[in-house]
Amino acid sequence: MYQLHTASAGLDWTFWGPVGGMVALILMGVPIWVVLGLGTTVLLSTTEVLPLTLVGETLFAGIDSFSLIAVPLFILTGDVIVTTGLSHKLLRLALATLGWLRSGLGTSTVLGCGFFACISGSDAADAAALGRITTPHLVKKGYPLSYAGALVASGATTGILIPPSISYIIIGLTLGISASTLFLAAAIPGLLVLGTIIVTNVVVNRVKGYETSSGRFDGAEFGKAFWAARYALLIPFIILGGIYSGIFTPTESASVAVIVAIVVGFGTRQLRVADFPRMMERSAEVNGVIAPIIGIALLLAQALAALQVPQMFVSGITSFNASPTFVILLMLCVFLIAGCVMETTPNIVILAPLMLPLAQDIGMHPIHFCIFMVTALGVGFITPPLGLNLFVLSGLTGVPVMSLARHAVPFVFALLLAVLVLAFVPTLSLWLIPH
Amino acid sequence: MLRDALRAIDRNGERYLLLIFYTLVVAVIGVEVVRRFVLSYSSIWGEEIARFAFIYLTWIGASAGVRNRNHIRIDLIYGWVPERHHVWLYVFADLATMAFAIVAFYYSLIPIATSINFDNVTDGLRINRSFFLAAVPLGFAMTMVRIVQNTVRDIADHRAGRPIFRGVKLFE
Repeated sequence: MYQLHTASAGLDWTFWGPVGGMVALILMGVPIWVVLGLGTTVLLSTTEVLPLTLVGETLFAGIDSFSLIAVPLFILTGDVIVTTGLSHKLLRLALATLGWLRSGLGTSTVLGCGFFACISGSDAADAAALGRITTPHLVKKGYPLSYAGALVASGATTGILIPPSISYIIIGLTLGISASTLFLAAAIPGLLVLGTIIVTNVVVNRVKGYETSSGRFDGAEFGKAFWAARYALLIPFIILGGIYSGIFTPTESASVAVIVAIVVGFGTRQLRVADFPRMMERSAEVNGVIAPIIGIALLLAQALAALQVPQMFVSGITSFNASPTFVILLMLCVFLIAGCVMETTPNIVILAPLMLPLAQDIGMHPIHFCIFMVTALGVGFITPPLGLNLFVLSGLTGVPVMSLARHAVPFVFALLLAVLVLAFVPTLSLWLIPH
Repeated sequence: MLRDALRAIDRNGERYLLLIFYTLVVAVIGVEVVRRFVLSYSSIWGEEIARFAFIYLTWIGASAGVRNRNHIRIDLIYGWVPERHHVWLYVFADLATMAFAIVAFYYSLIPIATSINFDNVTDGLRINRSFFLAAVPLGFAMTMVRIVQNTVRDIADHRAGRPIFRGVKLFE
């Protein structure tokens, strides 16, 4: 208890004032990157722990990283796939693979999200691309619109959980871990989450009886769909094959994937030069929303580190003599709450350096920690008030966010279960990585 | 003539710059990969160009995000405040952005001054680092212009009883 006392005594109004101000600004609807930037500036001037010139340096140096360039490239790959209509072909393949089940269309939709996640590195892109195509069909099959939206939103969480993933690149940058290794480690956990969502839909469908598809697996249609999707499948093969075999860094593989997707688009006459400005402009805007948050959140993370907040946090917790189980559950609570109220990118950059020492204190492998953290934050994509996927689907379907959130409840619990399994079974995260 | 030019910059300034830098990032890294396979040799300036183009892409993109109002924010408060007062929420958020933009603009000029004074050159291209460091103040200068435009437009819209610009949706 003594340690806890000194820990809290170390932070006075000079720390809590700016933090409280940030909370107030966020609630007033100020954009998150601005809140973090202003808050850190004030924090640096009240605590005088680092010189204010750091602001100017970090906005440049913080994002001056070759691995971070993968972020805009993976965004662009997703956009090219959508513009060229390759996403339709991936969905057709998903339908040919699992569409014969009783909940065939719902299951295939989630599987399609998984296919798309192997190409795109972001979550909202996944939700937007597939939500637009699939929700009308799901409704025609008998699903209520709000459930269909919740289903796609949940399936799209695999966007950042199945590699390639922007979130793993960012956590790798923050903690100094190779993104290639994280991509390898994330393969099994990502598939676990995908399976969990598929099973949840099957169960919900059994209970509510939304969809009663019937049929049997059609080998000829599967073959045709597979052949039609061959170019779309080539891209994850290049991205993941290139990264896993060590031929490419994630950034290089992302640029090769963009170029291959463009060549395929021209080859199949689905892409015109006239499509480029709109496509790139949109991707650039998405990058312009994500990347500034990274640079500014790194600034705040540096300030917190200089104030020794991570150490205080660890000594505060360990003074309870808490068991590892308790610490894991505590971290899970923090990630879930953070995921509800904040966006994934600042959560990763601010919380990862804060929590990693705690995880290492109970003997958790850093890579296992990354998988646990990103998956737990992933739940935040389908929880209100700031569930990005719910917002995207709400925009597409016109269903209010809270109504989507209600239908997403079974998926939230299923994802929680998957996170708990990942947290307590380290092998799932560490099996594939070389020792 | 000048008026037309200014109007074109206003409408497309960020767009053209973003296109140039995006193309540069994709092309340079693509060429580097090919070069590494074919010639078993990659240049140090290729990576440098890609990194710096990315930084320009980021901070000019931030300005585009301010203009199109698509930066991520928690919008719970818009449900609590009556709609006719929403304009003040937008104006307040823009003023907060302005405050940070001024801080960031000022402090990002300092490393540039240092680079010029000490003739600090980059590792690969051997040109003055200030050309690259300029990405940050450029982005924030553009942001400041966009905020002034936003605020003037919002207040004019409010006075004339027109609906407030609520931003362009990013994912549709």
